[in-house]
Amino acid sequence: MPPETGHTGASPPASGVNRGAGQARRSRWLMIRRELTGYSLVAPALLFLILLTVYPLMRTVQMSFTDLKAGEWIFVGLEHYREALDDRWFWNSVRAVVAFTVPALVLHLLIGLGFALLLNETWFSTGLRNFMRGLLILPWVFSTPASALMWALLLHQTGPVNYVVVRILGQSAPIPFLAGSPRLAMSSLVAINTWLSYPFFMIIILGGLQAIPPELYEAAKVDGANALKRFRHVTLPQLRTILLAVTTIDFIFTFGQLDLVQLLTRGGPLRRTETITYYVYKTGMLDGNLGYGSAVSTMMLLTLLVIIVVYVKLLSRGGESGETSF
Amino acid sequence: MKQLVIAAVTIVAAAVMLAPIVLMVNAAVRPITEILAYPPKLIPQQITHEHFASVVLDGENQLHFRNSTVLAFSSLLVSVGLGYLAAYAFSRFRLRGGRVMLLGILGILMIPRILLIIPYFRLAAAFGVRDTIPGLVMVNAAFTMPIAIWLLKGYIDSIPVELEEAAMIDGCSRLQAVWRVLIPISVPGIVGIGTFVFIAAWNEYILAIILTDTPATQPLTIALAKFFGYVARDWNSIMALSTVTSLPLALIFIVFQRYVVQGMTSGAVK
Repeated sequence: MPPETGHTGASPPASGVNRGAGQARRSRWLMIRRELTGYSLVAPALLFLILLTVYPLMRTVQMSFTDLKAGEWIFVGLEHYREALDDRWFWNSVRAVVAFTVPALVLHLLIGLGFALLLNETWFSTGLRNFMRGLLILPWVFSTPASALMWALLLHQTGPVNYVVVRILGQSAPIPFLAGSPRLAMSSLVAINTWLSYPFFMIIILGGLQAIPPELYEAAKVDGANALKRFRHVTLPQLRTILLAVTTIDFIFTFGQLDLVQLLTRGGPLRRTETITYYVYKTGMLDGNLGYGSAVSTMMLLTLLVIIVVYVKLLSRGGESGETSF
Repeated sequence: MKQLVIAAVTIVAAAVMLAPIVLMVNAAVRPITEILAYPPKLIPQQITHEHFASVVLDGENQLHFRNSTVLAFSSLLVSVGLGYLAAYAFSRFRLRGGRVMLLGILGILMIPRILLIIPYFRLAAAFGVRDTIPGLVMVNAAFTMPIAIWLLKGYIDSIPVELEEAAMIDGCSRLQAVWRVLIPISVPGIVGIGTFVFIAAWNEYILAIILTDTPATQPLTIALAKFFGYVARDWNSIMALSTVTSLPLALIFIVFQRYVVQGMTSGAVK
């Protein structure tokens, strides 16, 4: 980046040719001072973030090469990694996190997009529409423990869902959603996670829809495109960037989700909902095997880093201005 | 006709989505015999406030409530305070390496908490902040600051720089220009992002499990999660506490909703 520091501020760039040398030195000094002011404003936040995220991350990596033996930290090299790759429960947790993340992501996207499209239409009453929008964001306000409890009551043996299942759908016995078959437990977790996450998709996609110029739709209408064609050829291409951004971020959040599993199933039944995040928590925190947990964390980090770097690269190709694109 | 169909579909779908919330409030105000009645009784026969009263008057819950309040406000202050300064510098100064720093911050935004719980657990003890509220505030602020910086930068970018320049020509120092001109104009952005940060800190759960052990420091989310440990669940108390925990947040959110939505979408749409 060229060192033209006095870009937007009060002091205009004053390095003219026909000015005196003293003036040039002065303006150079002003430029340096200006830049220093900028750095000193960024520094507190940056130091805070480095101390609280980058440094601990490096400690995770470092810890993954060590083991606690009789109160001493000893260096064990790649021992934990070798152990993990041979560990069937590690692979079990990889499988579980995929089985959780993929359907959850699809559901977040479909429900979020669906509501966004409905709320973007013209309604007979804008007030009612905005009210519905406000109501539909509400699940986002609830903490995971609060929603886990809500759903535990909802899916209870004698809860309303099981009432519908037994009396109206005619099943012979109530379904133990979270403690029965592993598949059912996983589906319940995905459903609860979707309930908590769709508002995020809905808000962001709605913002994207509102930014599409109406002229595009009118032009498509003139060309005789029906609603479905307009969606495919106008809406989807226009939303592409936002969908990519929101899906990437959501993928990482969903992948890193621990709360629900920790609260509702603790990895069960038959350890089939033991996602990789829960496995890190279990080995590292519950069993106290910090070195092994760190090794699994580090492998997770490496996988995520690939995704993050690809995403940031895609983003920075978009423009040189460093524009906000979430 | 088409508009009516759209509205009807939305309302029906919303009713399904919001059923759990209705159920929560419902279970907080009705006697246990009605909640677990089979078949479920939809229309309340008896409404009671005793569960709310017992939950609110409980000393330990009051402690948790205080902790959550302190935690959320402090995280808000640290994260938006430091975040605003950085966002201002990123927006108004052309810093060498600024773009790399911003992308780095975006990378930090994407780090899941789970990757940090093991080192936090050890570092908190080493720095003497285990089981303290300041320790919890620091980690919470660290997780919300990246998004605060990005969204605030987007907001400040949209404010013309001429306003501050005019103030500085009139004799204000840079700091005065920011304090008297820029900050008052960015209040909607600060409110929106602040609400977001407040809710995130109020609802935080995993970091609190790792870093706190005693009711003197544990937030409300831990108090709620403790109910999962009991064999017999007292649904009245559970749902009364859930309601009491979530309601203030829902109210704050409803009041500031416009700003939150604006803040989030303006950052995303650009």
